[in-house]
Amino acid sequence: MAAMGASGEKITVSGFRHYFRTDGGRVQATGLVDLAIQPGEFVTLVGPSGCGKTTLLKAIAGFITPSEGTILCDGRPVRGPGRDRGVVFQELAILPWRTVRRNIGHGLEIARVPKAERERQVARLIDLMGLAGFEDRYPHELSGGMKQRVAVARTWAAEPEIILMDEPFAAVDAMTRLTLQEELARLCATTRKTVFFITHSVEEAVFLADRVLVMTRRPGTIKAELVVPRHGTGGRDWDSFTADAEMRGIAEQVMHLVHAERVG
Amino acid sequence: MRRRLRSFGGLLRNVRVLLPFIVLIAIWWGIKSGFGVSDRLLVAPPAVWSSFVTLVSHGILAEYASTSLQLIGIAALVSFAAGVPIGFAVGANRYAARSLEGFLRFFQGISGIAWLPLAILWFGFTHTTTLAIVIYTLIVPIIFNTMVGVRAIPENYVLALRSLGASRLRIVRDVYLPGALPSIVVGTRLGMGYGWRALIASEMLVRQGGLGDLIFGARTFNQIDRIMVGMIVIGCLYIVVDRLLVQPVETMTLARWGVLRR
Repeated sequence: MAAMGASGEKITVSGFRHYFRTDGGRVQATGLVDLAIQPGEFVTLVGPSGCGKTTLLKAIAGFITPSEGTILCDGRPVRGPGRDRGVVFQELAILPWRTVRRNIGHGLEIARVPKAERERQVARLIDLMGLAGFEDRYPHELSGGMKQRVAVARTWAAEPEIILMDEPFAAVDAMTRLTLQEELARLCATTRKTVFFITHSVEEAVFLADRVLVMTRRPGTIKAELVVPRHGTGGRDWDSFTADAEMRGIAEQVMHLVHAERVG
Repeated sequence: MRRRLRSFGGLLRNVRVLLPFIVLIAIWWGIKSGFGVSDRLLVAPPAVWSSFVTLVSHGILAEYASTSLQLIGIAALVSFAAGVPIGFAVGANRYAARSLEGFLRFFQGISGIAWLPLAILWFGFTHTTTLAIVIYTLIVPIIFNTMVGVRAIPENYVLALRSLGASRLRIVRDVYLPGALPSIVVGTRLGMGYGWRALIASEMLVRQGGLGDLIFGARTFNQIDRIMVGMIVIGCLYIVVDRLLVQPVETMTLARWGVLRR
């Protein structure tokens, strides 16, 4: 699917395959994966649980070294995590002993960004993510949705070019999830990042994506990709998305592809 | 008027805390006078009080108590300074943590007192023996809880910081230290409780001063009043140390960061 190291690609995964060592021996976590993501593209990956989606994301993030294959970001091989690739996790990643403000500014603090510039950047994200009034709260004083807003804001504040999201809204209640998805769509429309987003929700995958990838069950390989056309420059919203027959058609197609991979 | 009301509320709270003690003293006094128990076995509260006054006025109590407090102070400082780094080193290393967990549990089972025979043979009847016993008792819960605290920090905290470009030192400072702090405080608090008991026991055998020495020495002359004064002071000093030093730190860290452990 992806040409090895083709120029201009933001993320290039070629010949990737991963195994885990366990007490019972070697377990194959993913099948053969080839993948290319263009700059500014929002790619979602949907697949059954345990198919190896997270393993692929962790390899791109640099948290694990692939058993086979190479991963390039901007044509350079990935060797460990770095500031160029921000990660948003499903849960438990913002620090409970830091206020909202200090969590969001953490990446900038690490990068030794001067305080005034840091404050300005943090204030902008607090505004964008609807966190105004909560700046000095601690995470345990926030709802699940609010915590994820903080996690998203922290990643965006550090201004990575690539953002990797591992089911970031899976632990949030359904109503809040709709809001967060719309906010993310708006945020991406204004900031143009390259995003690789993992989910097991078909609607979420189609709603957010420029391109949806469907993974098979374990050991997962990418079995299909669908382009989701964009109309206009703003982010999508659920009202117009659900009213759009073309979108419903794509979601239905993805649903059929995912259904075929049901386990048990 | 208002201030008076508030102090009345404070008084009520104090009564609630003191009530069990008052009941205990009443029962003690009742048994003593009701059954006519001999002074060789039990003395009445007023006798204990007058013994207390004598011990204080001659400076004897201050002498023995300050020895105990100094010993526990030194032991606490040494245990904290050595135990926290050791706990960190073990906790941060998955393999070390796994292999040392059983080892530490094994020594949790061997109380400080069980080391006394060996310690006396090695260091003689000296403060060194007592310090060795108390440090041993204090340091194990500190190491163990620091280790547990470090191990309980969710991996995502560390991964998230690494992808924000944090160095190893930065991760220790921003994640491991604050993350393990509540557990370190709990370990220290437990250690102080165990250490204080081990201290008194060791002093009774070593006989070089301290409240343990005071009460064990009093036994030789059947000074039941003095033994009871010593015991009451041992209990009171522990409450003072725990309430004034350790508990406030625990409340501060836990209340500010919310409940860390799910």
